[in-house]
Amino acid sequence: MSHHVTFKDLPEGGEKFDPAKASGLITPLLGLGLLGLVGSIYFFITKPAEFAYSWLFAFFFCFTFVVGGCFWILLHNASNSSWGVVIRRLFENLANLVPVVFVLSLPLFLIPSVKDSLYEWMVHHHHAIEHVKEAAAHGDSHLKGGAAIKEALHHAGHHTLSAKFGYLNISQHFQPVAFSWNTRFILYFLVLWYIARTLRNKSLQQEVDGDIKHTISARNFSCQWLLPFGLTATFAALDWIMTIDYNWFSTMWGVYIFAGCAWSSMSIMILLVTYLRSLGYLQKVVSDEHYHLMGKLLFAFTVFWAYIAFSQYFLIWYANITEETRWYLTRNTGGWRWVSILLVLGHFVAPFVLLLSQTRKKKPFVVCMVGIWILLMHMLDIYWNVIPERGPSLGLGVVAPGAWVGDVVAVVTVTSLTAYAFLRSLGKYSLYPWRDPRLLESVNVVN
Amino acid sequence: MSTTLKRVHGYLAEFENVHDLYHAAEHVRDAGYQRWDCHSPFPIHGLDQAMGIQRSKLPWLVFCGGITGTTTAFFLQYITQNVLYPTVVQAKPITAIWAIPAWFPVMFELTILFSAFTTLFGLLALIGLPRFNHPIFASKRFAKFSDDTFFVCIEARDPKFSQEGTKAFLEKIGGKHVELVEDDI
Repeated sequence: MSHHVTFKDLPEGGEKFDPAKASGLITPLLGLGLLGLVGSIYFFITKPAEFAYSWLFAFFFCFTFVVGGCFWILLHNASNSSWGVVIRRLFENLANLVPVVFVLSLPLFLIPSVKDSLYEWMVHHHHAIEHVKEAAAHGDSHLKGGAAIKEALHHAGHHTLSAKFGYLNISQHFQPVAFSWNTRFILYFLVLWYIARTLRNKSLQQEVDGDIKHTISARNFSCQWLLPFGLTATFAALDWIMTIDYNWFSTMWGVYIFAGCAWSSMSIMILLVTYLRSLGYLQKVVSDEHYHLMGKLLFAFTVFWAYIAFSQYFLIWYANITEETRWYLTRNTGGWRWVSILLVLGHFVAPFVLLLSQTRKKKPFVVCMVGIWILLMHMLDIYWNVIPERGPSLGLGVVAPGAWVGDVVAVVTVTSLTAYAFLRSLGKYSLYPWRDPRLLESVNVVN
Repeated sequence: MSTTLKRVHGYLAEFENVHDLYHAAEHVRDAGYQRWDCHSPFPIHGLDQAMGIQRSKLPWLVFCGGITGTTTAFFLQYITQNVLYPTVVQAKPITAIWAIPAWFPVMFELTILFSAFTTLFGLLALIGLPRFNHPIFASKRFAKFSDDTFFVCIEARDPKFSQEGTKAFLEKIGGKHVELVEDDI
């Protein structure tokens, strides 16, 4: 058995990450990000409609990590888990990327043409609003505000949009709707930012005074905020991706996205821990046991994702309702069919078989290889959720020709910039909460 | 004076606490004994490593059981619905395996069922249960294993077992009341 670690073995003040040590990774990431930014601006100007989808895909891919980070810190605190103390700070830093991801989301929020090419329902709403304005100018309107827009949508033949008006609407200067798509866009980031900041602040406060009350108040906070978090993750995904096809609906889809968030952010964590260890950090606090624990959670979420994904597919396939099946028809015909099959095999079967054995989960190398594979599969999953709508929506056929270049540029840009910000942010605080009362319990964990 | 023929089960040594048992286990392991066991009133963390116990083969049995369940369910449904009695339900495809989504629930359930059965019966087979009696119960002192005493028992069928050597060895590593356990044939 390995040596039992005590406080004497751990440095006072924890371990601080020096970004200069990782310059071999950080500098290329920044370069790649800036280069990609130039490319992205070019694509936003030359191919705004196609590139809107690319950007949504890339932004949402990174957004899922932040959601996952929030989830894991909430869960660690709420479940009073001790094993995860040594990696909790890294998750806290991952969750605190909310502002970075928010900045990267701004094109979706600020550029009207981007929104219009993504969300057909917004175009219909704009027309309806124009119609209401005209009617008001002629003085022949009997309804006001939202009711008038709803009525106009109904008359234009968009009965679904009229029925969904209470949720699916956009605020306008002459007609502010408090609970609109735009308000919610900001609200999602605020909720996540609040969760991430509060929990990290509690953790940091504990490093100053070493008081156990911060652990307890973090637990209380987490129990209260798990529900708002769940709603945020679900409705953010609904607002940004499900409404691309405003006719489609699936109550399982929010959970489906959440499963991917938790899964991929755990992979990120495994890879990050390995990278930090290769630079000489966390040598004494992280052991093969932690890889085993993280591998087990990866395995759990592999199965969870498959369960949710299949249940959603099964219900829609069985019920055969036109509005619902369209979504799967798009993805089960043409070239997308092969992507769907690859997702079943690569997103579920391969990680399932690889992570089944305990011996393999205890080998950092194997877990890391699976982690890389999982990140690729998660990227493909998000791609498969967003991009198949592009061709049909923009009238460019099944697959918009040549648009994949924009997808690559967008995902490289957003991922590089987020990863750059993430690695830079690691240097600010100790890599693990060094005064947490359960630190040694976590360091010496055996399972 | 009894003249009944008896069979030697092995040597039983007592230990007073977990610490002693743990280190005794390490010594027995390092001495190269194969057929021996520790007995304790409660589970002890890390005793597996101290005893040098290999990973159980049960997971492999369960894996095979699970795979058998999956394939059984697949062929059960494929043969009945595609070969013997093809039925079109709600215009769902029945050609080849493209009706497979409809079969998944049964495939899933049979995987679980077969795995559970293999786990239970495989475990019973590997540990040799059920059985009516165990020779170690011939020892009167052994009853304390479920109260406050820790035991190491080295069985006579171990290739390294010897009447004097094993007894001396157990005493050397701190065993108290080293006793030769003999059972009626």
